Amino acid sequence: MTFGAIGFSSPVLLLALAILPILWFVLRAIPPAPVRRRFPGVALLLGLRDEDSSSDRTPWWLLLLRMLAIAAIIIGFAGPVLNPHQKDTDQRSEPLLIVMDASWASAIEWPTKRAVVDSLLDEAGRDARPTAILQLSAPEPLAFRAASDWSGRLVGMAPNPWAADPEATKDIITLLGDEPFETRWFSDGLAREGRDDLMAALQSHGPVMIHQGNRQLMVLSPPVIADGEIVLTAHRLTADGAADITIQAHGRDPNGELRLTASVPVSFAEEKLSAEGLLSLPAELRARLTRFQIAGQSHPGAVSLVADTLKQREIALIAGREDREGLELLSPLHYLEQAFLPAAQMLEGGLLDILPANPDVIVLADVAILTVAEEEALLEWAKNGGTLLRFAGPRLAASDTARNAETHLMPVRLRAGGRMIGGAMSWGDPKTLAPFAEDSPFFGLAIPDEVTITAQVMAQPDPTLAERVIAQLTDGTPLVTRKRLGAGQVVLFHVTANAEWSNLPLSGLFVQMLDRLATSSAATTPDLVQMQGTTWQPVQVLDGFGHLTQATTLPGVDGTRLISEPPGPTLQPGLYDGSDRRLAFNVTTAEPDLRPVNWPESVPVMDLSPPVEQPLGGVFLSLALLLLMLDILASLALTGRLMPTRAIGVVLTLLLIPDLGQAQQSKAQLATSEVVLAYVLTGDAQLDRVSDAGLRGLGSTLFFRTSVEPANPIGINLEADELSFYPLIYWPITPDQPAPSDQAYSRLNEYLRTGGLILFDTRDANIAGFGNSSPNGAKLQRLAAPLDIPPLEPVPHDHVLTRTFYLLQDFPGRFTGQPVWVEASPPDAEQIEGMPFRNLNDGVTPVIIGGNDWAAAWAINESGAPLYPVGRGYSGERQRELANRFGVNLVMHVLTGNYKSDQVHVPALLGRLGQ
Amino acid sequence: MSNPLPLRARAESEAKALPPLLARARHLAGAVMLGDHGRRRAGMGDDFWQYRPVQPGDSRRHIDWRRSARSDAQFVRQREWQIAQTVMFWVDNAASMRFTSDDALPEKSDRAQMLSLALSILLNRGGERVGLTAPTLPPRRGTAQITRLAAALDQEHEDDYGAPAFAAIPPYSHALFVSDFLGDLDQLQSAMAATADRGVRGVLLQILDPAEESFPYRGRAIFESGGGTLHHETLQANDLRDRYLRRLAARKDQLRQLCRATGWRYHCHHTNDSAQSALLWLYRAFDQGGQR
Repeated sequence: MTFGAIGFSSPVLLLALAILPILWFVLRAIPPAPVRRRFPGVALLLGLRDEDSSSDRTPWWLLLLRMLAIAAIIIGFAGPVLNPHQKDTDQRSEPLLIVMDASWASAIEWPTKRAVVDSLLDEAGRDARPTAILQLSAPEPLAFRAASDWSGRLVGMAPNPWAADPEATKDIITLLGDEPFETRWFSDGLAREGRDDLMAALQSHGPVMIHQGNRQLMVLSPPVIADGEIVLTAHRLTADGAADITIQAHGRDPNGELRLTASVPVSFAEEKLSAEGLLSLPAELRARLTRFQIAGQSHPGAVSLVADTLKQREIALIAGREDREGLELLSPLHYLEQAFLPAAQMLEGGLLDILPANPDVIVLADVAILTVAEEEALLEWAKNGGTLLRFAGPRLAASDTARNAETHLMPVRLRAGGRMIGGAMSWGDPKTLAPFAEDSPFFGLAIPDEVTITAQVMAQPDPTLAERVIAQLTDGTPLVTRKRLGAGQVVLFHVTANAEWSNLPLSGLFVQMLDRLATSSAATTPDLVQMQGTTWQPVQVLDGFGHLTQATTLPGVDGTRLISEPPGPTLQPGLYDGSDRRLAFNVTTAEPDLRPVNWPESVPVMDLSPPVEQPLGGVFLSLALLLLMLDILASLALTGRLMPTRAIGVVLTLLLIPDLGQAQQSKAQLATSEVVLAYVLTGDAQLDRVSDAGLRGLGSTLFFRTSVEPANPIGINLEADELSFYPLIYWPITPDQPAPSDQAYSRLNEYLRTGGLILFDTRDANIAGFGNSSPNGAKLQRLAAPLDIPPLEPVPHDHVLTRTFYLLQDFPGRFTGQPVWVEASPPDAEQIEGMPFRNLNDGVTPVIIGGNDWAAAWAINESGAPLYPVGRGYSGERQRELANRFGVNLVMHVLTGNYKSDQVHVPALLGRLGQ
Repeated sequence: MSNPLPLRARAESEAKALPPLLARARHLAGAVMLGDHGRRRAGMGDDFWQYRPVQPGDSRRHIDWRRSARSDAQFVRQREWQIAQTVMFWVDNAASMRFTSDDALPEKSDRAQMLSLALSILLNRGGERVGLTAPTLPPRRGTAQITRLAAALDQEHEDDYGAPAFAAIPPYSHALFVSDFLGDLDQLQSAMAATADRGVRGVLLQILDPAEESFPYRGRAIFESGGGTLHHETLQANDLRDRYLRRLAARKDQLRQLCRATGWRYHCHHTNDSAQSALLWLYRAFDQGGQR
């Protein structure tokens, strides 16, 4: 049953609306309940008659309110629904198949898709149609079941980070069976091979309808490094106008936390399907990047993982001679450092110290002699993939290394002495470089004319020499030779690494050669040949929404598949660990194949429109509740129970309660209108009560004995409260109280600097000596470390604290006999002959530290009796009295400063008066 | 004999209320400075009043020889007549007095007790004897009497409205009746008539709550007396206001009339007013009463 846009699920209940008029008369006849009041003046009231008896009836507006409330209840229970789903006229009975792509591109609008599927399932459930759901990315044999079964499973369904490949699509067609069914296909809108066949197969079973979202699909290709910048390429499915997107670069900060490192704005031009963004980051930051993602696109295609392709290589530099102080430009390592600095991380130290760090490259500049241990370690390291870069020099030329037999760590045998060319005492011109051969790693680098070689070490002609030369001079003598060692290599530059033997290190070519050899080798993706026969273990894989998850149980995959195959169930996108490096396997390749699908004309394509049915029952019932609340207020007001002024007061109070600023202000007002002692709220309720009772006790002692009349103590929250109002802050220490924040510390320091006093109390009788090993003492050390505390000393016998009110030499609390620490007296304070005490510090000591648990000794209960026992018998009472006296002295010291110290000047003043 | 333990506990809890009342009353009384309190005529007393020539009938013992030696005539030294007045209190402590319309205001009985106690402290300081009619406390002087008075004042009555007890009032003494005088006036009338016959002068102090003065009630209500014996139901309390106020004014008028007829004095005090002013008025009333 429907009225306009509103339908009712149980319209029979609406008949109850008919009783409303009857209720009207019944309610009208009953006057509001009377209030019983005590009133002694009733004797004067006796015999007075009401002049007007009409208002005993409930006023019409209150009746109307109640009627509306009841009507709302009735309507609410009748189950009103806005825009009720108009059922199809012909009820279908054939089974329903819901096909979902569930591919990496389906994560966009996944909740909406799920909601639409859910409403389809509801509808199918109402029509009692058997239903099946088929996920193309993870196909299972069709199982037509009750729709409610699927509703439960739907919640757990998620897209997969891959797409169905043509082979799998063919298999799906065989799964379909031969019974007729209606198909709803939730597609990601991407064209794929085999879709047409599947569509034809589905159409042969019955009608097909496509549901497809409208949101633009964008994907991100893996980042490429060009000219020191990271090039990010985003692609989109359809070119519909200009669009601006943001690509976010996530990386780890120095603490290892994942953070958004940089954001790159990228703009798609009007008609373009792809857009590029450039990101320039310092090498340090670049090395820590872990992933790029298009903001707002939560699917694995918009995520590009970075393994170690952006990582810097670690290069260790080791020179043969280091003793030439100050000759920077002659240092064998200077030019190498300059060449490597922008792109690599340098390690320095002894060879054997560096090797455990497993650097990618070790450079030996003119190092001729290696010990046996070094040689073995280097060999082991090189065979595991290290690159050993050696440079010649006078030492190497003078040594016997690799003279007669080839050694492991030298690519070639060397002739004794080397040669000098083009010098004043030699014949011939300095030699230049020959163009690089095709199989040389330097192939393609332009050779500047001005690079000349004046001296070099010479290689012995050996059968293997030709294949080991990767750069040579114009006269054919080898300049750079290389030998493979296991997974690694040894490269020898036959010249020095500085400008002594050639001007090669001064040229840009040198940097480029080193780049090719050492720096950039990790940034290249391995090719198919390299990957053959290797097995890669997934470490973390992307889920269907582009989040990384641990890949604990996934098996390793063959290396070639990582290069040649698209992602699939057995090859999930993610991070893969190989023997010596880590690879990122992303959904999107450098040239993604993104095409919108072309559905046949005969198939209807629908948007993802959310379900429109909106039940209104809750709205009506809440309205009824609201009206009944109003009725309560109105009834109260009508019977006089709700005094208008009080009501306003209540409302105002309710309005003001959330205003914490008000509370803080009132605390401030309280603290500034009287002398108020404060204690730090530690979070331990029991301890806070003791502090409060202690300061209250001290306050009452002060009240009785002195002219200081403090108000009730206030507990302060160091984070929130203003401290400057309080002359004294008592800070009991517990091992587990939270340390204040930096802002709180800065305010505490400000407080101490401007004359405040903090009384620290470890409350443990200082059992372990000062703060040594008791937990409270250790906590005090940690708490007080950021505080600006001057040097301390135990209270000297002539400290002003010993005589500000009472004459004291001991400062007991519940415990006694422990030293109490105050600001140290200045080192130049000396006792003058005839003076009772030294002329000590001006001002108030900013901290007093002890462990005598003073608050417990001061604490009193409501009736003024002490709360905690102190000592035994009379001596205990004496100790409590002394504790109280200490409190009085303390507060006097805080309030009067060194006033009592000034008496040291009395003899001088008297003497001056006598003149 | 009843179990002593609960008795002790009850006694303690009863006694607990005393010191604060006493303290507050002392505090209140401390604000009033006492003036001269002599009778300003010759009589029994300590202070010198005058020398007068010896008249026939004077005992020789009364002749002041030192004064007489300075002249030919003989003089008698007279002292100022100082007698202690007796002031009897009746403080209504019925249920109607234990009413307050607002938590911030004291109960009427609390104010009544405090005022009477403060006055008795003042009078005691002035050398008068104070006593209580119900429960009967014979008039005496001294601090101990104040303590006894404080203890006796604390006793509560279950009745709705109190009736003045006057049997204990000695002739030619003074009396103070403190009540709200909202109950039946007949008993008060007869009490005042009887005491006036005995030459007793006194003061009626009516203590009212502000709500009883303004009647701020609205809507349907049932008004009950403190003991619950009287009640009055109304459908529109705000309609009753004017008529109630007229009746209250009439009641006050009646009290004034009564006082005029018997030579007493009347004062109306509200619990939201300062107790100090009421005490000053009371003290002056008794001072002048003493002079007459």
